[in-house]
Amino acid sequence: MSPVRTPKQAAAVAAVVQRGSTSLTLRRLRRDPASMIAAVFILLLVLFALCAPLIAAWTGHGPNEQFRDTGLSPSGTPVAPGGQFLLGTDQLGRDVFVRLAYGAQVSLMVGVLASLAAATIGVVVGVVAGYLGGVVDTILSRVMDLVMSVPFLLCAIALVSVFGPSLPLSVAVIVFFSWTALGRVIRGQVLALREREFVEAARSLGASHVSIMIRDLLPNLAVPILIYSTLMIPSAIVFEATLSFLGLGVVPPTASWGGMLAEAGNNSVYLVAWWLVIFPGLTLLGATLSFNILGDGLRDALDPRSQMGRGR
Amino acid sequence: MKLRKKLMPAAVTIAVAMTLTTVGCSNAKTASTATAGAGSGVPGGTLKVLGQADVDHLDPALGAMVGTTSIMRAISRQLISYKTVDDAKERLVPQGDLATSVPTPTDGGLTYTFEIRQGAMWDIPSGPRQIVAADFARGFKRLCTPVQASTMLGYFTDAIVGMQSFCDGFEKVAPTPDAMTAYVEGTPISGVTAVNDKTLTIKLTKPAGDFAYMLSLNNASPAPVEALKYVPDSPEYRSNYFSAGPYRIKSYTADKSLILERNPAWKAEADPLRKAYVDTIEVTFGLTADAVAQQLQAGSADMSLENSSIPTAVLEQMRATNDPKLTTIAAGRVDPFLWINTKTSNNGGALQKLEVRQALEYAVDKAAIVQTFGGTQNAKVQNGIFGPGVIGYHDFDLYPTSGSKGDPAKTKELLAKAGVTNLTLKLPYRTKGLEPQIAQTLQASFEKAGVTIQLVPVNPSDYYSKFLTNHENTANGTWDIAPVGWTPDWQGGAARSVFQPQFTYTGTPQGYNYVDYNNDKANALAAQALASTSPDEQAKLWAQVDEAVMADAVIIPLASRLDTLYRSARVQNFTPYALSVQGDWTNVWLKR
Repeated sequence: MSPVRTPKQAAAVAAVVQRGSTSLTLRRLRRDPASMIAAVFILLLVLFALCAPLIAAWTGHGPNEQFRDTGLSPSGTPVAPGGQFLLGTDQLGRDVFVRLAYGAQVSLMVGVLASLAAATIGVVVGVVAGYLGGVVDTILSRVMDLVMSVPFLLCAIALVSVFGPSLPLSVAVIVFFSWTALGRVIRGQVLALREREFVEAARSLGASHVSIMIRDLLPNLAVPILIYSTLMIPSAIVFEATLSFLGLGVVPPTASWGGMLAEAGNNSVYLVAWWLVIFPGLTLLGATLSFNILGDGLRDALDPRSQMGRGR
Repeated sequence: MKLRKKLMPAAVTIAVAMTLTTVGCSNAKTASTATAGAGSGVPGGTLKVLGQADVDHLDPALGAMVGTTSIMRAISRQLISYKTVDDAKERLVPQGDLATSVPTPTDGGLTYTFEIRQGAMWDIPSGPRQIVAADFARGFKRLCTPVQASTMLGYFTDAIVGMQSFCDGFEKVAPTPDAMTAYVEGTPISGVTAVNDKTLTIKLTKPAGDFAYMLSLNNASPAPVEALKYVPDSPEYRSNYFSAGPYRIKSYTADKSLILERNPAWKAEADPLRKAYVDTIEVTFGLTADAVAQQLQAGSADMSLENSSIPTAVLEQMRATNDPKLTTIAAGRVDPFLWINTKTSNNGGALQKLEVRQALEYAVDKAAIVQTFGGTQNAKVQNGIFGPGVIGYHDFDLYPTSGSKGDPAKTKELLAKAGVTNLTLKLPYRTKGLEPQIAQTLQASFEKAGVTIQLVPVNPSDYYSKFLTNHENTANGTWDIAPVGWTPDWQGGAARSVFQPQFTYTGTPQGYNYVDYNNDKANALAAQALASTSPDEQAKLWAQVDEAVMADAVIIPLASRLDTLYRSARVQNFTPYALSVQGDWTNVWLKR
């Protein structure tokens, strides 16, 4: 079993994780077509988001620019997908394609940023609680229980009514409600790990608590961290979409997928403009599905007991 | 404070009383009058009404929202009211309701003498009792209890002799039923006299051509002496309500439902205006506009409490199929328009400068706002304070732009001339209905003219009550320009109910004049108009009032809206009642 490594070795291969090498993991992953499709989709989505300004320049349509004459009928009905507007226009005559790209920026940024922040908090709390145990563990575990028992939407609505909706606030709310799951898993893992011989060895060599936590425990937690962080991204994206859908997230006119869906639902516009629901909806679905599938695939690929890649 | 809360701008919200005197109310009027109603009325059945919001008050002295007006039509009566007929002009002619007729004032227009209709009864536990002249005096007195004053109070203190001093005294009374009863029964309003049970005289401070219209408001309803036993609009008052109308309250659950049943004390022969065909009226609150429209289309409910609650996309579909159940009414509703905060010191106090405000007038693409409402079938560009149909409305534009699409270059030029650069304005909006769209449309307009707009989302139910009417928010610059709406409080010559609550300031801050705006020239013209007896001269004077206010550029009018009404297929004789801008519950019947 691999966890017994010197701290130096562990640090050197931290990004790779247990047993296998990076290449072994990647080979396993490559044999999973679902994961590969998901990865490609995510890659395309990232490209799509990065290229948003280019798309805006290419189409000549700014994300918030309203085309009152060409993008709307005289009675204010959106224009269907076609040559000038690839995915049609919304109720204000804005290009849905361009807004989708800018929305991808928001969604991915929120997804990745919030997941990273939540993962950081979850790991720190989990490791400290698991390793130190005792009163510290009791307090931190109860805090996790407490956060998990706070109703998400109720709290979000209350916060927004006090501070007013904004992107940073959305991220903060998402982070606050996301870190506990990872925190619990990490705490459990650390509880098992801290009894292991290599920790004892480090301790007998005079390593400090902090050093043991960072140099010995953390590298052995890479797998759950990687998997749970990946799986956190789609839920963060959905959180953001939920908040924006309820008018509690991103402030208009900034494009976000949830906001686009909300605007389509408002005033029954979707009855005359299906594209306002279908495109943001499918993109959101695709993004969350891809991250979930990739997360699952990663778990299988990183799992030493996994059958994947061994050939059957 | 005068006024009524009829703001409810844009979007699918409540609107209110309409005003269509004569002036060209656009082609929509023709559509409005096409109603179903062949054959004679069939009594019976339950009318199901759906509402988005609960009533503001369930007390005739306080109710001010349009939905409440429909309820008050069923459970209260006034001296003056209106017929519900298809003809838009006839619908606005004051008719005697509890008064046997509409009197001609004597004494140079200063004294009105009413004869009370016999057979009109109160529904009180001890058995039906005739409504008498003294009940009307008591009704006026209940407008200014120390518990809560009616938003329409200003109209009455202004018009009726002794009303102001009565209310000044009432303010000092303890807000308990006993103390209030003692004051009300012991203190007369000098201008309101019950000569005997059948005769009531009201003396005015100055001639008011629109006094009859004021008396048609539910706020001018009579009150029986028993009503004084309860704190106005308290839960006890609501559950012990004494009805004068054809229906009475059977049950009421806040934010959920209101059920009206027949009032046994009401006699059809003593009510010329209400036929009361249906047996029961069930009002359900708390639905979204989309849900209301869908249920009405499906026929699982009959009518909507609010007007204009049909989403534009659904409207589009109804128009495409020529749905006969769709009705359009012009209501003199200016909605939305932008208030400019002249009190804020944001941007170095730039908005306090007339030249800056005038520059902003040129910026807005009003045509785009109209398009947001579904085009010219639903709204039209508005350039003054009075909406179409209100006396004084005329076609003028002090800040014309080509096609009303805004002139960003001119705004930039005028701002540069005024020495203002980098203007950043806070624009609050309600996160509801079309409001976010309107806010974004305005933002796009202003940004073309180099003015940065910060959108500030506000909880819809707090927008007027807590955000805009809070004078601290205005003074602290929490907002710079704010979209609001206004529908006149009554029918006919309704210019006063637009001008007085919003554009006059007498030293006491009032709710809907957010920036304490006052214009002496406009006030003088308005006083002349109110004293005038010639409709032509009144129209001319009110038109000058409009232009005088617009010259100050404190508001940017954007659009006037038509109200669109819809009903289920089984509703017959759907004719609008002028004050509720909605089909009259007391005159519809149900096809079975």
